[in-house]
Amino acid sequence: MADIVGIDLGTTNSLIGVMDSGFPILIADREGSRLTPSVVYLPESGDPAVGAPADRMRALVPERTLYSVKRLIGRRPGESEKEDFPFAVTSQNGRMFLDIGDRLLNPEEVSSLVLKKLKADAEVSLGRSINRAVITVPAYFNDLQRQATKRAGELAGFTVERIINEPTAAALAYGLDRLRDRSRIAVYDLGGGTFDISILELSEGIFRVLSTNGNTRLGGDDIDRELVRLLKERIIGRYPEVRPELDDRLFLARVREIAHAAKLRLSTEDIVQVEIPFLSGNRSFSYTLTRQELEAIARPIIRRTRSHCLRSLDDAKLDPRALDEVILVGGVTRMPIVRQFCAEVFQRLPNITQNPDEAVAVGATIQAGILSGEVQNVLLLDVTPLSLGIETFGGLMNVLIPRNSTIPCKAGEMFTNAVTNQTSMQIVVLQGERELAKDNWELGRFNIEFEPVLKGIARVGVQFEIDADGILHVLARDTRTGREKVVEVSSAVDVSDDAVEKMIAESLDHAFEDMSERVWTEAVLKSNELLPAVRSALTLVGDQISPEDRQKIEGLVLEVETALKSHDSHRLKKANAELDEGTQHLATLLIDRAMTEAARRKK
Amino acid sequence: MIDYFALLGIERRPAITEETLKGAYFQKSESLHLDPARSSEVFAVNAAFQTIANPATRIQHLLTLEFGDPCGGEISSDLGKLFGTIVEVLQIADQELGSLSARSSPILRALAYQSLDGLREKLDQAEEELSQRESALLEEVGRLDQSWFESSVHARQPLAQVALGLTFVQKWLSQVRERKIRLEELA
Repeated sequence: MADIVGIDLGTTNSLIGVMDSGFPILIADREGSRLTPSVVYLPESGDPAVGAPADRMRALVPERTLYSVKRLIGRRPGESEKEDFPFAVTSQNGRMFLDIGDRLLNPEEVSSLVLKKLKADAEVSLGRSINRAVITVPAYFNDLQRQATKRAGELAGFTVERIINEPTAAALAYGLDRLRDRSRIAVYDLGGGTFDISILELSEGIFRVLSTNGNTRLGGDDIDRELVRLLKERIIGRYPEVRPELDDRLFLARVREIAHAAKLRLSTEDIVQVEIPFLSGNRSFSYTLTRQELEAIARPIIRRTRSHCLRSLDDAKLDPRALDEVILVGGVTRMPIVRQFCAEVFQRLPNITQNPDEAVAVGATIQAGILSGEVQNVLLLDVTPLSLGIETFGGLMNVLIPRNSTIPCKAGEMFTNAVTNQTSMQIVVLQGERELAKDNWELGRFNIEFEPVLKGIARVGVQFEIDADGILHVLARDTRTGREKVVEVSSAVDVSDDAVEKMIAESLDHAFEDMSERVWTEAVLKSNELLPAVRSALTLVGDQISPEDRQKIEGLVLEVETALKSHDSHRLKKANAELDEGTQHLATLLIDRAMTEAARRKK
Repeated sequence: MIDYFALLGIERRPAITEETLKGAYFQKSESLHLDPARSSEVFAVNAAFQTIANPATRIQHLLTLEFGDPCGGEISSDLGKLFGTIVEVLQIADQELGSLSARSSPILRALAYQSLDGLREKLDQAEEELSQRESALLEEVGRLDQSWFESSVHARQPLAQVALGLTFVQKWLSQVRERKIRLEELA
């Protein structure tokens, strides 16, 4: 019997596993590690390096070493805010490409190189060839991101047997030796680049997902980025003259690596010494970073997961107390502050029995076993994370399949001609939860064709089908002629580069118009609002910050006050922005205080 | 039209316990699982579960099967009145949330967040009232389940009324809860 492997294609690391005598086993790569870095290095000539060897090139050749491409897969230009990659990301024909100078690659090609390495190394280890796979995706991935992931698998030479949601996979890993149980669990999955929360009901071998929510652009990478910013600030504090050198790509790649390592150590240690030798010339930089400092940076990022947890509980119609366990997976959940946060939101101590890096891959392998028949008496009922609909008159979204519907599922809609002899009609397919069509993801558009008949006579039924992978298929059927056809929903290539450039040019025009008195007036208004707010914040929570922080904030306040007298709008805007940035931590403390008070009042 | 009750093998009636429904659904799903020849049945089984799990859609499906249509009707006058207050609360919430999220400074948002207790209370009250209404309607379903067996024709109109009421109450509840979450999101 041909094996099916289970693959966790992660933002930071990827893993592969196979069932062995009824048990899910993860396979180490050629370098001897079960965690293969999702990094690809493309030299000017010769074969690409993938995994740990590529990871070592990140700080050496940052512009040709691609990582975290999961943040780009299935995305469209203009859709993602600026990502701070040291390699170039461009768009062509409405698609995203990674530009390494001498060629362009799309994100799924890069992912397929990671998958190819996993495949090749596993084949060596198992001594047989493998060509069928189950691949995981974040539960909150939309249709385009799922399709792109599936394509990456196919490019790597796999038949993709199933796309499975990461938190659901983790639930399988948790539940496999508890098949007799009846319980309700939440899986909180915070990885390098994505966040998912899923709530499941386990009932004698049936894993039913009740609801899922998340953010496909929220993760440990964000904490790293903030930490790099902090370190840069500290370096400039000590050596103001090196400021221009700090934006050097090579240098930033090095600092990012050091910051990431420091973050990992601070999960178990209270203090780490951050060393950046040979900073510039013979200067070297050393800084004592405390867990407290890291947590101050991480808190606002982690707090962004809160509303997703609340929505998920709401959709499952459950009170946190009705849950039996909250399972943590994803590397970031090693941070003590994440565990505390989960304890607060779910009102219980989280369950940390699962290996946060491996649970998803183990679950994918179990799903592979279910599909091959090796694992029996287990049934998975998963849901679609996002509502599916079409645009109606007035730019509204008409929901056809609500979020959290069990997949596979389908919905039909009947269309007719609005005028006599109308030959076609364009349908815009959307995914998302917002009322206005434009606020949702446009999956694509297609035309339905009518026979030339009197108005209101044509009848074309369109069926929207979401398969077990969470991927959409559309079928149109003319009920008068009985003709049926699979509709190609054209994605991506709907925004031409020209259109995007025109939009950018227009917004630039506006920017120049604005260079006037209005900018100054707005900046003054903002300062006048900001200064008293900072003062009252300092009275409320000023005792909770360090004297250095206080001094720094007072310096920023002084700069705003001075800029107010200068009538230099550029300077005032900059001072306002710096005060905003410098009081971020103060804002976090204020919200903490408000939340504690609200909780106290409730009791 | 598919008879979802028959498909899952459960009795056609207004009230169905979660246990009964899940038992039938799981059994059916397990028998279809891993049988590629019957994969198209899975769609209908999932739709049946979804329809019957929600009392409002379940009753509408039941009435359509029995009488040919869901027997629409109008919402009761006290629900109409409740609708007025809910709309008002939602409008206030949208206004305050809108002006808050327009604030770009973290510190201004944090200070404003503290002053939202009034809105929070209004939303809590609205949620409480709607939840009570929902439970009352669900109890009504239980009572009508009894009269259904005496005379389905007599139970028809009141059931349609309850289903419609539930549809609205559920929709408002989700709107109120969404505002509550957006309020938390500002933090």
